[in-house]
Amino acid sequence: MSDPAVELAEPHAPPLDPAAFETPVAPSVGDVEIQNYTINFGPQHPAAHGVLRLVLELDGEIVERVDPHVGLLHRGTEKLIEYKTYLQALPYFDRLDYCSPLGMEHSYVLAIEKLLGLEVPLRAQYLRVLFAELTRICNHMLNLGSHIMDVGAMTPNLWLFEIREDCMNFFERVSGARMHSAWFRPGGVHQDAPLKLLTDIADWLDNRLPRLFEDAISLVADNRIFKQRNVDIAVVSKEDALAWGFSGPMIRASGIPWDLRKSQPYDVYDRMEFDIPVGTKGDCYDRFMVRVEEVRQSARIMKQCLAQMPEGPIASLDRKVVPPKRGEMKQSMEALIHHFKLYTEGFHVPAGSVYVATESPKGEFGVYLVSDGTNKPYRCKIRPTAFSHLQAMDFMMKGHMLADTTAILSAIDVVFGECDR
Amino acid sequence: MGVELSAREAATPPDAAFFNDLTSEVNDKGFLVTSTEELFQWARTGSLWWMTFGLACCAVEMIHVNMPRYDMERFGVAPRASPRQSDVMIVAGTLCNKMAPALRKVYDQMSEPKYVISMGSCANGGGYYHYSYSVVRGCDRIVPVDIYVPGCPPTAEALLYGVMQLQRKIRRIGTVER
Amino acid sequence: MSSPHPKYASNEGVIDLARSILGDRLIAAEEDVGEVALTIERTALVEAMTLLRDTKGLEYQQLMEIAGVDWPEREERFEVVYCLLSVTRNHRLRVHVDTDEVKPVPSITGVWPVAGWLEREVYDMYGVLFEGNPDLRRILTDYGFRGHPQRKDFPLTGFVELRYSEERKRVVYEPVRLAQDFRTFDFLSPWEGAEYILPGDEKAQGQQPGAPTPVPAPHSKPEVKGEAPPATPKTTDSPAQTGAGKAEPDGDGGKK
Repeated sequence: MSDPAVELAEPHAPPLDPAAFETPVAPSVGDVEIQNYTINFGPQHPAAHGVLRLVLELDGEIVERVDPHVGLLHRGTEKLIEYKTYLQALPYFDRLDYCSPLGMEHSYVLAIEKLLGLEVPLRAQYLRVLFAELTRICNHMLNLGSHIMDVGAMTPNLWLFEIREDCMNFFERVSGARMHSAWFRPGGVHQDAPLKLLTDIADWLDNRLPRLFEDAISLVADNRIFKQRNVDIAVVSKEDALAWGFSGPMIRASGIPWDLRKSQPYDVYDRMEFDIPVGTKGDCYDRFMVRVEEVRQSARIMKQCLAQMPEGPIASLDRKVVPPKRGEMKQSMEALIHHFKLYTEGFHVPAGSVYVATESPKGEFGVYLVSDGTNKPYRCKIRPTAFSHLQAMDFMMKGHMLADTTAILSAIDVVFGECDR
Repeated sequence: MGVELSAREAATPPDAAFFNDLTSEVNDKGFLVTSTEELFQWARTGSLWWMTFGLACCAVEMIHVNMPRYDMERFGVAPRASPRQSDVMIVAGTLCNKMAPALRKVYDQMSEPKYVISMGSCANGGGYYHYSYSVVRGCDRIVPVDIYVPGCPPTAEALLYGVMQLQRKIRRIGTVER
Repeated sequence: MSSPHPKYASNEGVIDLARSILGDRLIAAEEDVGEVALTIERTALVEAMTLLRDTKGLEYQQLMEIAGVDWPEREERFEVVYCLLSVTRNHRLRVHVDTDEVKPVPSITGVWPVAGWLEREVYDMYGVLFEGNPDLRRILTDYGFRGHPQRKDFPLTGFVELRYSEERKRVVYEPVRLAQDFRTFDFLSPWEGAEYILPGDEKAQGQQPGAPTPVPAPHSKPEVKGEAPPATPKTTDSPAQTGAGKAEPDGDGGKK
């Protein structure tokens, strides 16, 4: 059988060998000049946290230059969003940063609400904050665990993943999905959280989380090997952190107490009492410890949410944006029409553009939303957190050993779903 | 839960006669006779080392299935980072055009017999990203797939079930003809 | 209770200060949905950005994002949007620059090094050129990708798709062939003001298209009551018009 393939381009000139070494010139006898060599890291590598490809230029074991190749998970999310209605596009945000799905949704729904000028009932805001913080814990469990594992310790990761499983159960109980909840909706949340779930979360925060988490962290926080692998690795000054567009735990580890939850409060964060952990040096160990402390603060916020949460509606009652509940649909013709219109055509968003950023677990996650007055976003630019951080890899890696790559990469907390979009 | 466990156990009773036969034969003779083919097939199902090809969201569930709660190593299924040492590749996540050559390369590096589990709707057929300009519409365009696990993402249990299905498939038909 | 979006320092005085500092470099300044957006002369971008960063009272230390937007109907079709953040003043600002396929935008990698990749992305997605960017390669799309996917005239599914060729023993690109086309619906209210004619509409010439809606959609013009009725009021009384009583209701309903 003849091959019907019409070849249009042959773009893959260099083979992407996971362990390809390129030694340009073999040193001959008496040749004292040692040449740098290039090593290819990824795109399939267990410590790459996904599909990162790094082209490292090494002098012996010292990294001279890093050229990160991203885009290996470029799925065209932004283009696809332009072809979907506002509500249909929401689940794309879950799939951006798949370690903290609700954190991504948060920016998007807030952007839509800002354009619509939509008010959100208080209970919905509390529920959002509660689950955004649960997402933060969930995300940090993965990151801290894999950071520990990447520098050589196995056990804490197993314990931290047990916490993650608990979080996933809570997500499943509130939205029906373990990971991609699609639970935050423009105008509120999709379903109310049952009382038993809230009491279970409270119980978990009091008993299970601190026990597992503090045990796991006590194994590494003062561990000599762990410190040797992380202290003074990839030190970033305050000036560099600002110039390179750092955000989230990365900028806080460099000593700048900048947290969007505190400085630009959204939902009910202005009612919450919590502290912002700040690093002293800006090295990988600081980044790790900032995240550790953030988990404790998140638990604190969640407890306040549970204590203060009022009763009431969980989504805006504006029927031109928020579909009615099923029970209402069985009673009211109007509700049925609204439901049909909202799930086929969707709602129209007034023309305009906003840039809304929230403090996702990884840093500032922003959505630049341009609306032209129709039911589909005209342009939805996603500001990923990892993109700027990864770009700084080059100067962070310079002069470090090859083995430090994994520690630096883990401390950035990069997830390619959002980096490549 | 609403499932009646007692009723389900009664529906599939273990084949007592078969086990009695087996025990008596071992007790009697001290050994068992089987064909090498069957022995190999049985051995292959016992330690499916999988290549961690985590691409996107599904990779997280793939990690979860290894972690204590689901503990896939109960089935002798352990993660390997090197294609040379692995028997099965789990393609977990959206396969993008830029990544496809690497996927094929890793698949080619695996030693025979090799199996592929396609995990999640993106790997199965593009899923939510089917119409994107940069996504391969199903990883079976690049590598032959033995088991498709549906879901977005499939839960850890679903993946575990998929692995068990692969074990059954291997036991039944041995090496899959390519 | 109001919209729960992030709240930062007030926009008061920002536009005035920016106008006095930037002078001619500023083309337009507007405040919309609570956000300040400045449109800046393309050639003066670097100086303007430096001023925005270093002037006391503005102090936008961080460049968070560069977004491209494609407006094909405009003369200069691309808009490059810089999202700035001031951590000391707790304020956000957007800077817009217009350009097209050939006119390069000055690179601001000298002002913020983070701009390097962000500009690369805009170049990759839109084909906007950045003059002075030391490393203007594609970043997200495949090696050897052709076209700029975020342009409005680039099809969603692209032009090529990948498959492994057993004969060539490697992955090859082929023209895209879809088993099922992407389903798009036109939701722009066919009830009122639709520009196309649905099959069957031609029979109702002279009539308002579609069924009358009792409540006008919020975005459409409200119909003025008491206007003159249509020139030829159409009645459907006789069997010839309704088609009643006939075996085949063919198209002779128009005959009188």
